[in-house]
Amino acid sequence: MNFNLAMPLAVELSLAALAVLVLVTGLIEGTSRSSSAVNARRGAGWLTFIGLVGILGLTFLADEGASLFGGSFVQDGLALFAKKLFVGSAALSVLGTLTLRQSAFSRRGAEYHFALLMALLGMLVLASARDLILLFVAFELMSIPLYLLTGFMKRDAVAPEAALKFFLVGTVSAAVIAYGMSFVYGATGTTSIDAIPQAVASGQPIAMLGMALLLAGLGFKIAAFPFHMWAPDAYEAASTPFVGWLSVAPKAAGFVAIIRLYIEGAGVASHVWMPVLATLAGMTIITGNLLAIPQTNIKRLLAYSGVAHIGYMLIGIAALSSDGVAMVLFYLVAYLFGNMGVFMIVEVVSRSAKSDDIDAYRGLAQRSPLLALAMLVFLLSLGGIPFVAGFWAKLYVFWAAIEQGMYGLVFLGAVLTVVALYYYLLVARQMYIEKPERADPVPVPGPLGAVIFVCVLGVVGMGIYPAPWVAAAMRVAASLFS
Amino acid sequence: MTGFPVLSVMTWAPFVAALIVMFFARHKPLLVRWVSLAGATVSLVASLWVYWEYDQAVAGFQFHETLSLVPQLGISYLLAVDGISVLMCVLTSIIIFAGVFASWTVKERGQEFYALLLLLVTGVYGVFVSLDLFVFFLFYEIAVLPMYLLIGIWGSSGYVQPQGIFGWAFGRTGVGSKEYAAMKLTLYLLFGSAFILVGILALYVAGGSRTFSFLDFQAMTFDPTLQSWVFLAFYVGFGILAGIWPLHTWSPDGHASAPTAVSMLHAGVLMKLGAYGVVRLGMGLLPDGTHQWAWLVGGIACVNIVYGALSAMAQKDLKYVIAYSSVSHMGVVMLGAATLTVAGLNGSVFQMFAHGIMTGLFFALVGLIYEKTHSRAIFTMGGFGTMMPGIATAFTIGGLSSLGLPATAGFVAEFLTFLGAWSSDHRWWLFPGVVGAFLTSIYVLRVVRQIFWGTKSEDPHFQNLPDAVGTEWVALGILVFVLVLFGVAPWIAIAPVDTATVPLLMRLAGR
Repeated sequence: MNFNLAMPLAVELSLAALAVLVLVTGLIEGTSRSSSAVNARRGAGWLTFIGLVGILGLTFLADEGASLFGGSFVQDGLALFAKKLFVGSAALSVLGTLTLRQSAFSRRGAEYHFALLMALLGMLVLASARDLILLFVAFELMSIPLYLLTGFMKRDAVAPEAALKFFLVGTVSAAVIAYGMSFVYGATGTTSIDAIPQAVASGQPIAMLGMALLLAGLGFKIAAFPFHMWAPDAYEAASTPFVGWLSVAPKAAGFVAIIRLYIEGAGVASHVWMPVLATLAGMTIITGNLLAIPQTNIKRLLAYSGVAHIGYMLIGIAALSSDGVAMVLFYLVAYLFGNMGVFMIVEVVSRSAKSDDIDAYRGLAQRSPLLALAMLVFLLSLGGIPFVAGFWAKLYVFWAAIEQGMYGLVFLGAVLTVVALYYYLLVARQMYIEKPERADPVPVPGPLGAVIFVCVLGVVGMGIYPAPWVAAAMRVAASLFS
Repeated sequence: MTGFPVLSVMTWAPFVAALIVMFFARHKPLLVRWVSLAGATVSLVASLWVYWEYDQAVAGFQFHETLSLVPQLGISYLLAVDGISVLMCVLTSIIIFAGVFASWTVKERGQEFYALLLLLVTGVYGVFVSLDLFVFFLFYEIAVLPMYLLIGIWGSSGYVQPQGIFGWAFGRTGVGSKEYAAMKLTLYLLFGSAFILVGILALYVAGGSRTFSFLDFQAMTFDPTLQSWVFLAFYVGFGILAGIWPLHTWSPDGHASAPTAVSMLHAGVLMKLGAYGVVRLGMGLLPDGTHQWAWLVGGIACVNIVYGALSAMAQKDLKYVIAYSSVSHMGVVMLGAATLTVAGLNGSVFQMFAHGIMTGLFFALVGLIYEKTHSRAIFTMGGFGTMMPGIATAFTIGGLSSLGLPATAGFVAEFLTFLGAWSSDHRWWLFPGVVGAFLTSIYVLRVVRQIFWGTKSEDPHFQNLPDAVGTEWVALGILVFVLVLFGVAPWIAIAPVDTATVPLLMRLAGR
């Protein structure tokens, strides 16, 4: 077989090679504490970043429609869309981590980036998996490095606790997923996902039980109600640029799995899941938004607001239509830019104020007007205000749901957007209305500033001209229903 | 239509001014004011030109501008005005023109203040002239959101004694502070916009032809059940902004805490957006829904009139009196619309205009009084008439218009509305209306007597107060002039409005 850059596994193989390369450079550099060694180790981060940008380029070269290993690994539109999202967000996150000062990152930088790349590899495989076993393995490949990365600052008191909590919840969910898969296998007699729609359509109790268990397990992964408890702790403990990625990419992976298992090729048969998914969406929105209100730590606030966003995406899933899936994909991209941007600004501010409290944003508009404006743009995008990406995301999801006649759910979602705006505006209030305690501007490290800039471009660009993104998402979604 | 895009110029002139203020006028307070004034003037001239050129013989929507934005979804930039929107645009122009003068003395962060104010005005114009419901909604959001910062940063906190059985809970919310007011107002209005959005989307999907154009929707006939609940959604959504009882409570808090120009604009124009939305989208698109819910709209409006007037009587803070009087007067607007008669609807639109000018004048005056006395407590003041005769005169004229004295704009509006109420299906609506007018005269005259014409206050702070000076006269002069002009020559406004209300009602009658 000739090696060519467009072939199905090229992206995964180059990522694995990059991971190994990063690990090896870390070994060569050793663990000495001299400043030259520290600088050299920062090289692992740059290497990762540049490698990821290259791999992102590869995803654009890849041919669509190929399939390997008897159809268990496919490179379809959905897979490529998701891969671009995963790799792009990972590149942004790595760029944001480059200037981290914590000793953990200067001493074990290669380890950190290696783990991150492995998790990313898991996601890439998952996006292409059309086989239950492969799906499960990919999920674990993604999850285990994530537990590790959450507890990476192990000398911090909260990090091991959060990592342990995340790990326990994650393993239980993996067990539930595996248990569910065993039932599905029992019903269909094959591990291929292709057989699922038929089993669901025939309404075999075992198949339905298996699929229900799978949904619960996936609920953990995307942090939907009632499986959302791990998210705030993990977000609070882990390093902020990583959290920006953690809050987007693994959840996107979960959604890809849900789309593959419940919607792709299922047609009308998938409608049995509508009430379940709609209830899940409604409860997730309510829980996330209400629990975000009393938070005083911005990372916890964003964690709960993230739970609410998952709920909004579930509305799109619950529509179980081509438009619904497309709008979820669009939502994911909008959420990626908005959330990533917010977390980068949280990192900038917490570095200067040494605090993640909302109070730390006091008077930011008068200290660093541009930074405050960027934060406002991100918050408005997350809140769903016109002219930024989040508005279209919510609007499109609602639109997809209204097409299916789910007025009640849309109404609930629309009303709870107002609750969300309440707590986003509390942050805006600190930035714009309160007087600053100090007058000096907040220093913004170059790489972080670059990430914030890219995210602002993304959010505003999608807000003003969403058409190309919508068209791309629609095309991907339509292919799943043909 | 090809030709000069006068509506776009009117809508975007404040926005361009806002950009210039934001980027080129840092630390140049005088330039900020002149640029803002220039923006407001361009809009004023454009709106007067539109009023002048609007062909009343042809009626219907005129000055069309079309530009396709997102053809896949049927979103386009579609502007046009009919008789109602022409009048509303003129109102907006007058208020913002006066508002720029009224806030000439803003000191803190003046650049951002003017930029946000002008941005807000662009949103308001946009709502009045958009015929594409989606763009309409976008403008609506622009008109709502800057309020949060405008009130939160430049507002003033009043003192409100938390009372009643839930007093302890209210006390904890920080009621009375500007932050509380800003948040309350923003959340209420965004809550309303959630209803509006759902309503618009429902029409879009039910229409089934990928268009958001008002004119296309008007040509469709929607299922009565759908009409029924979409009308309710529009009524609640826009009604919140129009201050319908019991969803009006953001209005007194918000208007009392807002800085002068923002109170003027919000009470004067933004509340009209709500009423305009109900008339244009609710009554204009959903005839069955309108007939089904007219009793509710009118009934609630009656509560508004009486409840608002009673609340205004009970206030000790001058700004709260004016704010509650807005709630009462907006009741007259909604009542007029609910009568579904030509006289009532004309009265309703005329009241939108009259109340806009009147309340703009009041808030400008309260702002002046506060600036000179640093107090809003009515019952500590007294006998200011000798020290500030100009302000006293303007306030008295405004008050007389508010209670509906003939030869002021307020009289025309209330007379037409009551006439409409009496000839509607629900004659009893007349009585709460008249009671409201009576109560209004009590609280207005009481305030006027106490502050300006009563015994002179002994308080050392209230001695030797100056009258209005310089730019302040401009705002007062314009508003008083307009108020009297439309009182003695109401046909200036009624002629164009009539061209829009008559076809609307004919459509409603024909279903």
